[in-house]
Amino acid sequence: MKDNQQKGMSLIVKTITRLTVGLILLYGIYIVLHGHLTPGGGFAGGVIIALSFIHLMLAYGKETALKKLFQTLTSVLESMGAVMFLTIAVLGFLGGYFFLNFFLNKGRSFELFSAGIIPLCNIAISLKVGAGLFAIFVALVLFRSLGEKK
Amino acid sequence: MIEYILCFLLFCIGLYCILRKRNIIKIIIGLGIIEYAVNLFFLLIGYRMYARAPILAKDQVITNMVDPLPQALVLTSIVIGLAVTALIVAIAIRIYEKYGTFDITKIRRLKG
Repeated sequence: MKDNQQKGMSLIVKTITRLTVGLILLYGIYIVLHGHLTPGGGFAGGVIIALSFIHLMLAYGKETALKKLFQTLTSVLESMGAVMFLTIAVLGFLGGYFFLNFFLNKGRSFELFSAGIIPLCNIAISLKVGAGLFAIFVALVLFRSLGEKK
Repeated sequence: MIEYILCFLLFCIGLYCILRKRNIIKIIIGLGIIEYAVNLFFLLIGYRMYARAPILAKDQVITNMVDPLPQALVLTSIVIGLAVTALIVAIAIRIYEKYGTFDITKIRRLKG
């Protein structure tokens, strides 16, 4: 318990983090899914998702956050986002050209399931941005601790 | 006109921060301020009086909207600024590891 207290910030910060970090993650997912209806979208939502993990890392120290999301997993997710975006773009060739909307059902406007491939593109971008931003932060933190060890 | 002058003032604050400060972290903050000043300038160019964001909403007719092109440019610019800032911070950490200081006047062992 004593050893656990040493890592990360004080008890107040940890309690507030435990209460808010899930809400921040959910808000990021909401921004991504409603990207085609309201302001926001893939990039903004991805940044908010990454910030929730960075928040966890700042409050609890890097071990707890890395337990939830491994470094290799972040790089896999980041690559998956890029590949998914490219796949959506290339699938348009089924109908003839790049980035073609391949859904036949257009849906009604201003509803969640509408706008064809744009929500899928938003999800791919958010995966790429969220995992990439978290990987940048992890790389900087690990870099510093490597330097201290020397 | 006053908003463009204030925007230019923000740019000058960032420029002062880059040219005058000696700490690398403060220089990075100055770069960030310059970037935001330029972004603000782009947004101010596209602004129209009493206009709203060009986003369609349910049961609403937008007659007067701001120019969306600078906003798209600024979104890209923010992404690039994020990447550039991360790169500069990584270089600053490396410099601190090698020289043990953030003061740019004390980093002199480049020769040889």
